[in-house]
Parts: sequence; structure tokens; C-alpha cells
Amino acid sequence: MTRTCRWPSWIKRYLTRAPIHGLPARRRPIASPFAVLALLLVLAGALAPDAARAQQLPDPEALKSAGSIATPGGSVRPPAGAVNLPDAAGAVRRPGGLPAVEGPIPPPDHARGNQSVTEEFWSRIRYGARGNVVLPGAESGILIQSAGEDWRLIRNEQLTRYGSMALLGVLAAIALFFLLRGRIKIHGGRSGRVIARFTLAQRIAHWFAATLFVLLAISGLIILFGKSVLLPLIGPNAFSIMASASMQGHNLFGPLFLPAVLAILVLFIKGNAPRLVDISWLLKAGGLFGGHASSGKYNAGQKIWFLLTIVLGLAISASGFILLFPDALVDRSQAQLANLAHGIAALIFITVGIGHAYIGSIGMEGAFEAMSTGTVDENWAKEHHDRWYAEHKGQATTDTARAEVEAGAVGDGVMHGVRP
Amino acid sequence: MIEFIEGPLWYLALATFLVGVAWRLIVLVAMKRPSDLSQARSASGGLGGALKALIQHSVPHGGNLGRTLYHFVTGYMFHVGLLVLVLFAAPHVEFIQERLIGSDLGWPKLPRWAFIVAAEAAFAGLILLYVHRLTDPVKKQLTDIDDHLGVWLTFIAMLTGCLALQEAHDGLRATHMLSVEALMIYFPFSRLMHAFTFVLARAKTGATYGRRGFAP
Repeated sequence: MTRTCRWPSWIKRYLTRAPIHGLPARRRPIASPFAVLALLLVLAGALAPDAARAQQLPDPEALKSAGSIATPGGSVRPPAGAVNLPDAAGAVRRPGGLPAVEGPIPPPDHARGNQSVTEEFWSRIRYGARGNVVLPGAESGILIQSAGEDWRLIRNEQLTRYGSMALLGVLAAIALFFLLRGRIKIHGGRSGRVIARFTLAQRIAHWFAATLFVLLAISGLIILFGKSVLLPLIGPNAFSIMASASMQGHNLFGPLFLPAVLAILVLFIKGNAPRLVDISWLLKAGGLFGGHASSGKYNAGQKIWFLLTIVLGLAISASGFILLFPDALVDRSQAQLANLAHGIAALIFITVGIGHAYIGSIGMEGAFEAMSTGTVDENWAKEHHDRWYAEHKGQATTDTARAEVEAGAVGDGVMHGVRP
Repeated sequence: MIEFIEGPLWYLALATFLVGVAWRLIVLVAMKRPSDLSQARSASGGLGGALKALIQHSVPHGGNLGRTLYHFVTGYMFHVGLLVLVLFAAPHVEFIQERLIGSDLGWPKLPRWAFIVAAEAAFAGLILLYVHRLTDPVKKQLTDIDDHLGVWLTFIAMLTGCLALQEAHDGLRATHMLSVEALMIYFPFSRLMHAFTFVLARAKTGATYGRRGFAP
């Protein structure tokens, strides 16, 4: 609740006429009793000896009792006992309007030593002014890092809003697609003959990355959306437990994701280079809405997913490591940027990943086997990867067990002793 | 509920684990086997063979490195990581001191960074071993519900332990204890017993062949 100044209007006009360090007029804080008190303190300071001056710092409690302190509002959460000043309209100032001030803070013209409590002085501190301190560290001289408020607003408002819209949108689109199109069947039915498609090493790398992806996605979504979604539903105590567990789990599994992404890169890069046939595949939307879209071992959709996995996976890993070791950073704005990059990349990754998981499981008959057994039905191969099939149709066999063993053996016979 | 998990259920799980493991080992050692009628090549051949087998079978040997490299690396990552966590994680050391032996254990507690490294290794090893079990066509045929249960109980116990790492919530600690108790109760009745029986099995095999004058 904001208290308004009850001074006569001519005093208010007089006091608000002075320009306040670049603040737009509508955001000028009004000259409150706090400022008047500051002037009195300066005057008292000029008259008092140095030793006495040092002990005459303004006491927040005394200021409160004098009715000069506004209760902070808006999205900024001040520490207990903080002193804040309302502007003429009673609005709360938000950072971003002023650039950070470099260099030592000069005392206000009408201030002496540490007795200064003028608005300009505090305003400059509020907007990131740097002072001289003996402590080491790039940020030691900064009392308030105002960019943190910008980061907080982007993360808690825009990122969560658009991120939730993207996630819900994809889920709705998949549900709608499933209702309209149903499961994509193998048109010719199963042939009973299979072809080896993925090696054992490829499947292990895929499932290792997928396991970590799911664990990190769940814990990450709780961290990002928990406050706005879970907290109202389950209450602060349960949410506190869930948030703590999610953070610990996320920090623990996070570093493992980097080697998983690198394994995907090494094992799947062959065959994922762009080709001309990918353009026609994209123009036909991969045949999702009818018609045949020709492709090699990987279609354009899979190639885009591979590229996203590598680019987003590396971006998420790099930003994640920055967040894991914040002490290694020069200042916290780097951590704030890393946090935003981490969240944006993760949301894109999860959103596209939901589509990948759908089409690789319930969305398409015969697709899941490629990653579970390493083999695919001959008709499935003919239908979805005709160019790759043309190169490998000689390997088609009815001995599915043998084909599965050979799928494990191709390229990595060392893994269970069966060599091709 | 938390009092029950950390009180009576803990002692029940501990008793089941200790009695069950002891019973399984006693039965295994006391099991009657046909006597070896062959003439011993040397008086110490049995003991030497046992020790040799224990050491030799813990590392790839006989040209098997290529074929067993995956299991060698992931297996050690998981088992060593888990052993370190169980015995040296700071909360575990304090728990053992307070609840089991009532005095100072005399060994150091892991610093936080070492805990994280051990946990990363253990988790990566377990996931990689399990994924291999599920995707390898031969191993898949050898896997039954006992293997799945053992892996999942171990994974959940490890996971809940790491989720409670902040040590700020009784509920998370109780969840970890509950999962550990489930694991301890299941342990003696499952293939998880290999944590103890591998020593007996390798030693017996090594002793048998050592007595006959050659290493397996």
C-alpha cells in the first residue's frame, strides 16, 4: 500500500520541478518527506563534528514511523525494511529506463559523506551505479544489478507464456492430427521380411540420450513452470519439495547430456547431410497428408531433427555448464543470459521432441522397431525410405532373429562378440 | 508415516537384508558338491587359482578387451560409483555412525564435488548397462523380471537419494529411505546377491582349475 504525500500542492510542485537524473517526467519520484529529511541531515552534518556525523545515518524504522516510506509494490520484492519512494502517480519504478552508470558514484551536490540519502543518490544505485570498494570481484562495487529484474521479467512472464503456448500448441496439434489421420499404417501390410537399419551402438546412444532428455525435460519444466502452474495446485510445501528435488536432479543429470549429444553426433552424422531429394520431401510434407515422399536413409524431417539435436543439445549443455558454475563468471549478467538461452533452447527442443516421440511410436506403424530391435519391415522401408531400401533390399530376410543380431553386429560387432 | 519409514520399517528391512544375505551365503558354502578325484598338481594350487581368478576376472584378459570393453567401462562406472556413494557420501556416513554403529566410522566423507562425480558415473553406468540389456538381441532373451526389478529398484534408490541432496526436506529423505528399504528387502531374493556371490563363484572356479594346474 502506497502512502501519498500530504504536503501542500505548491510545495509538491516546487519539489517535483527539479530534473532527476534522466528519468522521464512521469516516472520522477516525488520529493517526499524522505528528501526533506535528507536535506535536514545534510544541514545537520555540516554543523556537526565528523565523529557525530558518522553516527547519523538515516534509520529506516524511524523513517517508517515518520510516515515517509512507501510500501513497495509491483513485481520488485525488496528486502525486509527496505526504503522505497513512490512517484507522483504512485507507480513503481522498473529498471531498464536508465543505462548502468560506470565509475565511482560522486556524492550529490548537497550531500556530505555517508549522510547523503537524496533520491538521486539512491536512484543511481538502484539503476546499477558502481561504487569504489576494497573487495575483489567485478561486481563488488554494485549494490543493485538492475538487469536482473529485466531477466526475471522475461523469464517469468514472456518465456513461460510463450513456452507454455508452444508446448500446449504442439500437444493439441498432435492430438488433432491423430484424430484426423489416425496411426499411419504400412499400406502394403507387413511383409514378414526385415532389414537391419540401426546398429546396437546407435540404439544405445539414442536411448541413453532419450532417457536423459526425459529426466531433464520433466525436471526442467517443473523448474520453469512450477511456480505458475504447480504452486497454486499443490501448495507451497509440496511445491517446495518438488522444486528442490527437480533442481537437484536437473543439476545431476545435466552434465551427462553433453556426452550423449556427442555420441549422437558421431554415430548418426553419416547419412544426415542435406540432399536435393529433401526439398521435394519437404514440399510434400513428408507424405503425412497423402502421397509418396521419396527419401534416403534419413528424410528431411529426420535431418532437421538431427541438426536441432546437435545445435540445441550443445547450446543447452554449454549454457547449463555456465549455470552450474556461476562463480567462474565475470558478472551475473552472463548467468542471466545463459539462463534465458538455456530455457529458450530447451523449450524448442522439448516442443520438437514431442513430435519426434509421437511419430516414432504411436504415430507410425513400424517406426519404433527401428530403434528397439534395429530392424524394419521391408514394406515399411519401401514406403518411407525408398532410396535407402533400393540400396539394401538384398539384405531383406525372413529370419528376423538373425537380422536383429546382425543389426547389432553391423559396425559394432565388438559389443557382443558377433561379427558380420 | 515418516516415523514408520525411518523406524520400524528400517529395522525390518535391515533384518531381512542381513538374515537373507547370510542365509543365502551359508547355503551356498554348505552346498554339497561331488569331490574332485583328480590329483592336485600343487599343494597351493587351489588358493593361488582362487586369487588369480578373482583378480584376472576383474579385468579383461585373454584377448577379450575388444569384446568386453563396453561392459568393462560401464560396469565399473556403475559399481564403483555406487559403492563410493553408499560408503562415503556424507549423509550416509553420518547415518551409519548414528543409526548402525553408534561411533565414529573413522573414514572421510566425500566432498560435494566428489559426490557429484561418483553419482554421475553411477547413473551413466546404470543407464548404459540397462539400455544395452534392452536392445541387445541376445541379452534381451536372457533378461527376466528379476533383472528389471533389480535395476529399477536400484535406479529409484539412487535417484531419490540424489533428489534429496539438498537435505532440506524430510519428505525427500523419507522417500529415499523407503526406496532403499524396498531394495534391501528384495536384495536377498534376487540376482542382486551377485554383489556377494561373485567372490565365491570366481574363487571356487579359480580354485578348481588351479588345483588342476591351469588358469581359467
